[in-house]
This record gives sequence, C-alpha cells and structure tokens, in this order.
Amino acid sequence: MAEKFHTELKHLRKETVAMAQFGRSMLKDSVDALVRQDEQLAGSVVARKGDIHLREVELEERCYQLIALYQPMAKDMRVIACTLKVITASMRIGRYGKVIANIVREIAVKPHISHTMSIPHMAELVVEMIDDAITAYETDSIELIADFSTRDDTIDALRHSIFREGITHMMEDPRTITRCTHYIMVARYLERCADHACKIAENVQYMDTGERIEIH
Amino acid sequence: MSGDGIISTTDLNLWYREKHALQSVSMRIPKNKVTALIGPSGCGKSTLLRCFNRLNDLIDHVKITGKITFDDHEIHAPGTDVVLLRKKIGMVFQKPNPFPKSIYENVSYGPRVHGVRDRETLDRIVEESLRHAALWDEVKDRISDSALGLSGGQQQRLCIARTLAVGPEVILMDEPCSALDPIATAKIENLIEKLREEYTVIIVTHNMQQAARVSDYTGFMYLGKLIECGKTVQIFEHPAEELTENYITGRFG
Ligand SMILES: Nc1ncnc2c1ncn2[C@@H]1O[C@H](COP(=O)(O)OP(=O)(O)OP(=O)(O)O)[C@@H](O)[C@H]1O
Ligand SMILES: [Mg+2]
Repeated sequence: MAEKFHTELKHLRKETVAMAQFGRSMLKDSVDALVRQDEQLAGSVVARKGDIHLREVELEERCYQLIALYQPMAKDMRVIACTLKVITASMRIGRYGKVIANIVREIAVKPHISHTMSIPHMAELVVEMIDDAITAYETDSIELIADFSTRDDTIDALRHSIFREGITHMMEDPRTITRCTHYIMVARYLERCADHACKIAENVQYMDTGERIEIH
Repeated sequence: MSGDGIISTTDLNLWYREKHALQSVSMRIPKNKVTALIGPSGCGKSTLLRCFNRLNDLIDHVKITGKITFDDHEIHAPGTDVVLLRKKIGMVFQKPNPFPKSIYENVSYGPRVHGVRDRETLDRIVEESLRHAALWDEVKDRISDSALGLSGGQQQRLCIARTLAVGPEVILMDEPCSALDPIATAKIENLIEKLREEYTVIIVTHNMQQAARVSDYTGFMYLGKLIECGKTVQIFEHPAEELTENYITGRFG
C-alpha cells in the first residue's frame, strides 16, 4: 500500500515539475516573442493555453485522489499540499505568458521604444526565480530559495523603473502611449509571476520543514 | 505537554525476564484529554498501558524500575490499594469480553463488587453507564437478555459501560476497535470524543487515522522507547523525529 502510494506520489511530483516547466516556457517564450516581435512564436504560446489547463485539471485530480485513497500524513501530506500550490502557480505563470503573447500581436507592427526598456532583463530575473523555485520543489533544496525576498525586491524595483520610464516617454510623445502602456502592463505581469515563484518557494519551505514563511 | 498531568512516568523500565520491553519511558498523560499510543507491533504499547493500572503485576517474571504516579501518588508505593487503583483506572480490551450473563449483570457487577447493594442505586448506575457508553437506547428494552446476544460493537460499548460503572478517572483502551466494522468503530470513536469531557482516555491503536481522529496527544513508541510525544496535529503534520515521520508515512522496514 505505502509503496504504491509513494510510487504514485513520485510520479505526481515529476509531472508537476514538467507542468511547471511548461508554464515557465510559455512565459519565457512570450517575452522573447515580444522582444523579437516574433508573431509566430507568440501564436504558439497562445496555442499552449489549452494544454496547460488540461495538465492543471489532471494533476489536481490526482492530488485529490491520493488524499482520498491514502489519507497521507506528515511529509507526504505536505508534499501534496505543496504540489497543489505549485500546480496553481504554474497555471498562473503560463496564463500570464499567454496574455503577454496577445500583446505581442497588438504591438508587433511598429518598432520598439527604447528596446522595450528593462523588460528583457526583468524577465530573465523572473525566469531564474521560477527555475530555482521549480528545482527547489523537485529536489528538496531550500537553499535555492533562501534569497527570494531580496530577489523579489529587485523585481519590484525594476517594475517601478519601467513604469517611470514609460511615463517619461508618454509625456514626451503621446503617440507612444499604447506601446508604453503595454510595456508597463508586461512589467506588472512579470512582477506577478515573481510573486508566484515566491508562493512556490513558501510552499517548498513548508513541504521540507513544516515551517510557514512569508516572502514579501 | 501542556495541561495537568494525571499520570506520569519517569525513567520507567520493564523487563519480561531478559526482555527489556520498556526502556526509560518518561511521559505525562494530560487530564481530560485523549492520548493515543502508536508504534509497530511489539514496541511495548500494551505493556506501557498495563503499567498504568499495574496489570503487569499479574504476569510472572516482570521487573519494573522507575516511577509511575497517578494523581501525584506513586502507584508502586507500599500500601497502594491495587483494587482501588484499577477502579480508578479502568481498561477496555481489544476483543469485547462480556461475562456470559445479562446486560444488567455485566454493568452492575463492578459496583456490586465494590459494595453497592441497593437495587435503586444499581439501576441508576446501570442506566447512566449505558447512556454514557451510548448503548442505552439500543438495549433498554432487553436489559435482562444475555450480553452475548449483542453485536460485537455493542459488546464493546457494553465493556466500556462496565468500566464506567465503577466511576473511573482514566480509561485505558487497547485497540478497542480492531475487532469491529467501520460503523461500530465510528460509534466507539464518537463515544471517545464524549468521554473526554469527564475522563482521561489513553488508547492504543494500530490505525493511524484513528489516532489522528480521536486523540489530542500522540505518543510514538519504537523498540520499547517512547520516541516522541506531542500534540496530535503536530505529530501528524510535522513530527520532530525522523523515525516518527518514517513510521506514519509508511516508510518503515
Ligand atoms: N508476557 C510476556 N512475556 C514475555 N514477553 C512479552 C510478554 N508480553 C509482551 N512481551 C514482549 O514485550 C514486547 C512488547 O510487547 P507489547 O505487547 O507491549 O507490544 P505492543 O506494542 O502492544 O504490540 P502489538 O501492537 O502487537 O499489540 C514484545 O516484544 C513482546 O513479545
Ligand atoms: Mg498490544
């Protein structure tokens, strides 16, 4: 019984990692598509929306089944609790990828303003946080998430700077308003994705140590 | 552990001849709470339970060292009235063991042994005990029938009523549901929940979910040692010891 359960739990965790990486790629590709004004790549991100939703439903269902059938306790329970949160966070990250991909199609016709400002750099940092959160979940390595609070602060600072830079451009030349507003929105989505990485991190901490933490 | 301790053991050791069955067990049983003892077969749960009302005295070649106190009295002190001790600390066993007599006689037996003769008083004790054991409504019209005609679950509740009839403070239960079906088990579990208001309950169970459902505190034993004891939610959500973690997640062996 216990052995069957632990095998299933291991598979569940592996596939949750795969789903998280899938969501992370949607986000990464959407920003790449934005920067390169690659409408085809943006289209492929939008097309992945259905797939990630199916994974979400399927994996969540498996969590509930394991709870119903085995009433897991202690770390087993904490793994499942954390897995449910990882699934939700990954879905959200993937969905922000789709939202950004839609923006690409709206603003691809005209050249970028100021090379999309700090968006590529911000995206790189956010994707690194997501990667570390996923690896921490996969391999029980909480040391990877130890500095998340500081990294999250950096992300917030970048969002503010993009906001201020956008305002400056818009005041100088109202024709940039549409594009700059979109950049500001993208920065906002990226910041939300970093928050989701933090949520994963908080839950990995709970999974591994039983301790509840809050990353601001 | 928080709360008033009603029973506590200090450095308790027990040997069956050469077999060192309890090794330096120190624990405190909080009053008016349910404490569960869990652990793999042979780890000493029943032995520890039997220490609390000195039932091990009845077994040959048992040696005990250390201290056990009940209501601040050392239970091995010379002059301890063991009959009184077992009246105050009653026990319910794994297999229901009613006497082959009527339901009434089963419950009134204890009080009569302790000198209650008055019929009205006995009637009252029998009814109260059966009510407390959540059995009254099912048997009130057949109180003179043989106890052996009851179902297994009813027999177990009768045994609980029999224990309650002598006015105990503590009730020891050694796997009280292991011979029962899920519905009868649920009834006993509900009963334990109610008993907590007036009594202290210590229950040994192999069913971890049951320990989690019914108890306030849980002690995990392994190879004669008490490995960890604490609030049940803490033990099942995040135990302090890896051994406990491995046991309750079924990673043992
Ligand atoms: N009367 C006895 N004489 C000798 N050894 C005994 C006696 N009773 C128990 N033991 C031994 O002491 C150890 C603890 O036994 P105990 O019955 O307390 O375990 P337990 O935790 O209740 O196990 P189970 O879950 O199987 O009921 C076991 O190794 C057992 O074999
Ligand atoms: Mg036993």
